[in-house]
Amino acid sequence: MSELLKVRDLRVRYPVAGGIAAMLDRNRPSYVDVVHGVSLDIARGETLAVVGESGSGKTTLAMALCGLAPVLAGDVRFDGAAMSKARDQHLRPDRRRIALMFQDPVGSLSPRMTVRRLLSEPFRIYSELSQDPDRSVLELLSMVGLSSDFADRYPHQLSGGQARRVCLARALAQKPDLLIADEPTAGLDVSIQGEVLNLLSDLQQELGLGIMIITHNLNIVRHVAEQMAIMYLGRFVEQGLSELVFQHPRHPYTAALLAANPSTNFDVVPERIELTGEIPGLLQRPAGCEFHNRCPRVQPKCRASFPDRQSSNGKQGWNCFHPLP
Amino acid sequence: MTSPVLDVRRLSVSYQTGRGTLRALRNVNMTVQPGRIVGIVGESGCGKSTLISTIIRLLAPNARIDGGSIEFMGRDLLSLESEAMRALRGDGISMVFQDPMTSLNPVMTIGRQMTDIQHRDNRSRADKLARAARLLERVGIADPAEQLKRYPHHLSGGMRQRVAIAMALMTEPALLIADEPTTALDATLEVQIIHRLRQLQQDFGCAVLFISHHLGVIAELCDEVVVMYAGEVVETGSTREVFLAPRHPYTRKLLECDPGRIEESTRHLPVIAGKLPDLVDLPKGCVFRSRCDESIDICARKPPELEGDDHCAACHVVGQ
Repeated sequence: MSELLKVRDLRVRYPVAGGIAAMLDRNRPSYVDVVHGVSLDIARGETLAVVGESGSGKTTLAMALCGLAPVLAGDVRFDGAAMSKARDQHLRPDRRRIALMFQDPVGSLSPRMTVRRLLSEPFRIYSELSQDPDRSVLELLSMVGLSSDFADRYPHQLSGGQARRVCLARALAQKPDLLIADEPTAGLDVSIQGEVLNLLSDLQQELGLGIMIITHNLNIVRHVAEQMAIMYLGRFVEQGLSELVFQHPRHPYTAALLAANPSTNFDVVPERIELTGEIPGLLQRPAGCEFHNRCPRVQPKCRASFPDRQSSNGKQGWNCFHPLP
Repeated sequence: MTSPVLDVRRLSVSYQTGRGTLRALRNVNMTVQPGRIVGIVGESGCGKSTLISTIIRLLAPNARIDGGSIEFMGRDLLSLESEAMRALRGDGISMVFQDPMTSLNPVMTIGRQMTDIQHRDNRSRADKLARAARLLERVGIADPAEQLKRYPHHLSGGMRQRVAIAMALMTEPALLIADEPTTALDATLEVQIIHRLRQLQQDFGCAVLFISHHLGVIAELCDEVVVMYAGEVVETGSTREVFLAPRHPYTRKLLECDPGRIEESTRHLPVIAGKLPDLVDLPKGCVFRSRCDESIDICARKPPELEGDDHCAACHVVGQ
């Protein structure tokens, strides 16, 4: 499969506003690293799922790749060409070729525009995409499984699932090569969640899209993504083929995460891995391995230095001194 | 049998909308026994939120209660004066909301908020703070005295939700309503909260009404489950029985759709074909009929009643 997106050691740093607290406390850092050295590859027609809890930096990673967050360092190549950086440190992706589906579907649709206007807006910006915008809008609607009478509705007249479909249609209007979907199924019911994910899979096959899907629902990852990455405090602590990671997690956080997944299977008593301690704030990033204060396998070394990436035949990688056997 | 904490009988609620009367709840029956955890599961629009809002009597102004009763500890909530209802909220019934960031005040310290909600007590501020600290400890927050001085944004999502739970339990309510309290958290924190909730429920002896659309969470936490569809209760029973041997076709389909239950990895997830019925223009007969593969003649004519002793289902086919 041909390479679409290649990211090496991407870092996003935000300045922390000063104020009296910062003046009084000299040890307080004046910046916060939200994405802390992330590398990933996405090929055409392939899906990467990024899993992690709220605040782990998933959304910021997506924003940075779309040029909506400042990039401190790192190398991003899209379709073979290095992505340039603007003077304000934001990446300058080809906005037509990378589409973003935002987390809050209703919030990302202007409340004063009808679905028709929302969907034809991309054609006004990229006039080369369609000779007949009105017809293209109807085609897009049918592509995402909505009837043509949705064209005259306003966002508040849509249900959550319908709003997601409109967002997806708008993302597809620009005929992207890469689609970044931020929590595309959050807050949806299992049945509608299935519909949205099936739609993504179908369109991926049809259009050869590369997809990066951000989620904290582990149950869907196994079904929709070939590759997965587990994010903790801005780093990918484990990544690789979903099948391998699910079968044999190596990083203790991955193992705890997979074991914690509540299930409706009454006969199997899950072997939970109890995590103690709190997730540290990004401002109080722990020294050494960031997971050490919650890790059941912690050793003195983990508190001192961050483990290098280890991997098994390039298909699964993890950062841990004492991985699960 | 002991008398239930909450007993909802044939409750019907509708909203007046521009398109006509939207019948959000129809003949809803459900019971919460003391010390039990009851889960309500169902898709968006099935009436879960309307049901809770009716129980705590915080319905939107365009809502109307068309019939039925809600008894809480033997008192009829629907005929209660608004002052009496106000006294009951927080004291007898308390609630944990979905998003702890918006249910906590961002410009007040945790300690201030936790003492403020004890305004009905005639104790000193120091006593109230000490009590707040004790509760934080019980929900598993380390160094509670220090945390009381902090603001919500200082805390992680999991901690905030535990603070919200501590606040809800502060008044030792007889009924705790939790509306999707774990949606914003990752799986490790989700199980942490569930287990904590279970333990606290046993310590405090309160009953819990837990709303979620995560089937796994319901299975793990709840003793009993109420399945709702399009404003009606379609199945009730012990969680184990409903999940292992679902009787209503909707429950069966809902369980089939849960990606967590599908062993083999698949690119095509099962879905429930068809759409929710329009609650303004309800179909005759069973509300699930248009999406059901097992429907028979009578389903088109007569709506089924919830039938059964412990494990009930509202379905003509099951009843036969």
